[in-house]
Amino acid sequence: MRVSSRSIVLSAATVLLVLAGPGRGVAARVPAPATYTVTMDSSRFEPAVLTVHAGDTVVWVNKDFITHTATAKGHFDSGKIAEGHSWSYVARTKGTFPYICTLHPDMKGTLRVQ
Amino acid sequence: MKILAAAVVVSALCLPAASASAQDVTDPQIASIVVTANQVDIDAGKLAEKKATNPDVKKFGQLMVTDHTGVNKAAVDLVHKLGVTPEDNPTSQSLKAGGETNLATLKGLSGKAFDKAYVDHEVAYHQQVIDALDHTLIPGAKNDQLKALLVKVRPAFVSHLEHAQHLQAELSK
Repeated sequence: MRVSSRSIVLSAATVLLVLAGPGRGVAARVPAPATYTVTMDSSRFEPAVLTVHAGDTVVWVNKDFITHTATAKGHFDSGKIAEGHSWSYVARTKGTFPYICTLHPDMKGTLRVQ
Repeated sequence: MKILAAAVVVSALCLPAASASAQDVTDPQIASIVVTANQVDIDAGKLAEKKATNPDVKKFGQLMVTDHTGVNKAAVDLVHKLGVTPEDNPTSQSLKAGGETNLATLKGLSGKAFDKAYVDHEVAYHQQVIDALDHTLIPGAKNDQLKALLVKVRPAFVSHLEHAQHLQAELSK
């Protein structure tokens, strides 16, 4: 039996669709990881409260003139972020995490991971 | 000695800050006041880094050096960008003189007496700088970028004041 090149192409396309199908379905239910930015400026975190999904990345960007940290004791700690620098954190653990700048403890924020 | 040190703080900071009104002060004068105020606290912080006994006071001294160095760098960068030449004035001169007197006083002290005198001065200094920002420097700044810089640094000074007050309470226990 001769198999036309056309049917091979169709079969291959069918296989691809079948393979791609479930993958797309999963992607629709669980959004792809997103990246959020928290700005450190005028000795404040902006936004002060940020809600993300587990697996998302949060980047703290220091736009102030002075060094800050983003520290939730026992959960995450950026260490010192100098002016003009940033720190990335992949939020894997669900929960509500109040955090501070350890250098300026009146500088407060909250990260909610759903 | 303590009374003398306190009197120096008051005379160095209160009177000139109160005498320079927002209407009178020019941007070159503001630039000089900002740079001098930061430098005075950097110098005191450097001494505290070396001489403080209490580890929290030592850490506070280090923070004053890094924070005020950061603010000064931003201020100097902006002053250069704007082409403003800082102009000496009675307030900046008094700040400088007060800073030198404070250093001389602190150099003569050691142990707990040093820690207390340094922290007491930091409380008074930051309170007076915040007052100067609110009543003279921010309302007096003509250039928008200079005004914005002053507004942006104010919360750090408030944070330093609260931090110093917290240390003051700890040391008095």
